[in-house]
Amino acid sequence: MATREAGKKMIMLKSPDGMEFEVEEAVAMESQTIRKMIEDDCADTAILIPNINSKILSRVIEYCNKHVPTTGATGAAASDTVAPAALAEDLKIWDAEFIKVNRATRFNLIQAASYLNIKGLLDLTSQTTIDTISDNSLEEIRSFLSTKNDYLPEEEQTIRRENQWAFQ
Amino acid sequence: MAAVATAGATRPSRGLPDEIAIWEILVHLPPNALLRCRAVCRAWRRATTTRDFLLAHHARQPILLMRHGDQLSLDIISFDHRAAADQLRTVARFGGMSYSLVACCDGLFVLAVNRAHFGISMNMKHFAIYNPATRQYASLSTLSGFRLLGMYHHPATGEYRLLMHHCQWSEPGRQVGSYVFSLGPGQPLRHIGKCLDANELSNISVLFRGCLHWYRMKCRGKSCMIIVLDTIAESFRQMCPPNVSGCVDLFDMDGMLSMSNLNYSVNIIEVWVLQDYESEVWTFMYQIELPFTEIRAQCGYRQSADIWSAVVVPEEGELLVMVRFNEWLIQVDMDGKLVATFHCRGVVPIQFLLKQTLVPHTFFPTLEGYVVNHFPLI
Repeated sequence: MATREAGKKMIMLKSPDGMEFEVEEAVAMESQTIRKMIEDDCADTAILIPNINSKILSRVIEYCNKHVPTTGATGAAASDTVAPAALAEDLKIWDAEFIKVNRATRFNLIQAASYLNIKGLLDLTSQTTIDTISDNSLEEIRSFLSTKNDYLPEEEQTIRRENQWAFQ
Repeated sequence: MAAVATAGATRPSRGLPDEIAIWEILVHLPPNALLRCRAVCRAWRRATTTRDFLLAHHARQPILLMRHGDQLSLDIISFDHRAAADQLRTVARFGGMSYSLVACCDGLFVLAVNRAHFGISMNMKHFAIYNPATRQYASLSTLSGFRLLGMYHHPATGEYRLLMHHCQWSEPGRQVGSYVFSLGPGQPLRHIGKCLDANELSNISVLFRGCLHWYRMKCRGKSCMIIVLDTIAESFRQMCPPNVSGCVDLFDMDGMLSMSNLNYSVNIIEVWVLQDYESEVWTFMYQIELPFTEIRAQCGYRQSADIWSAVVVPEEGELLVMVRFNEWLIQVDMDGKLVATFHCRGVVPIQFLLKQTLVPHTFFPTLEGYVVNHFPLI
């Protein structure tokens, strides 16, 4: 079925592990990458999303569903004056719940948001990582991101000295 | 705790690919944290020292407000949404002399330095340039005796330039008028003509479409005016602002020259926008009513008259208002809603906006008294 409700175009998203997700076009277009594909007419039947497994893709869709702007089509809810501040507050609480995931999932979500170019999701998922890196020691950063230290000890000392004030 | 123990027992999960770590995470870090991260691994150091990366990093830095702590320090006031716990931070402390911030452009400061001898005249003031992120500092001693009108980037040459003004009384023998000074080795001051009413211009200029704009208040029978320097042609002209009476600031909002007018008698800030720059027709956009009842309820009353001022800051398509109220600093949003308050003793009016930069500038080492992280920085 191409349409579920009158006036709502549906898009099929496929993950590399073979799962299919039918979503409203407006929801899929929260992703600037998908929006471009649709606008360039490269997306008539289904879009394969490489490198994003079904577990992560379903979370991304969940996020887009929640964040797609509610426009005229939904009728009463949109025309009634729901205070924008209350809506924003609701979204903030929802986001905070959404991001309560383990580190591996969060890293996967960052990669998905970056590839699909979903700014809101990228900001949400990367902020805690940015904060962690801002606030922790080099050793903690390396272990957090599983990054290997490939400096010789004296090289690391030289780089530390170059920007000594940043370590105080 | 059980959960922690379990997590610790599992193999460390894979991190982020370098490409994502660098372009989605490191690019957003505050300058100091980024400098630290260069010592994490070679790949990070390589990637974060390229010009492209540093320009992208600069572009993503939040806009910070500056204030003078005392005369020997400059503080950053962060109203960044995510930095609630760290709103006031000293970025520079100086030794030996008194310093004041007179211009700020692309993360670079121009400071006016007064030798701290009692009774010295204003003309002994000299200038210095400073980057708080890289802690590079150098003197601009050839500019003694001038007044600084503005600072801008000159794209055709890649130079940073200062517009200086020389008054008749300050140094006989030198031609009165405006001079351009390019930051770099052995650059002479170049006389470009006479700026209209140089002594009555706002302290802050706005660079917009290659032109510097100053607001000139109503004075001595002359109506208010915007004075413009075309930085390519190096000629001055005038533009008509909306006819308002209040405290006016110019700024760039979403690529439009904008103006805020603070009306003290009714606690209202009006925002005007020049939608069509050529036609010089201003459009009234917003009116922000400052929530004084709420502010007083939170910050208390004074016996004597309240001392307050406000500045409008454009950020990501929105406007923020920073209100200084006695010893409080208050952030108000576009709807006049109080967002945050914080107490800081001796808050003085704030005008300069800083977007920090780690982009290297070749002019620094060519200047007199060039130092990195060294006296007079302490």
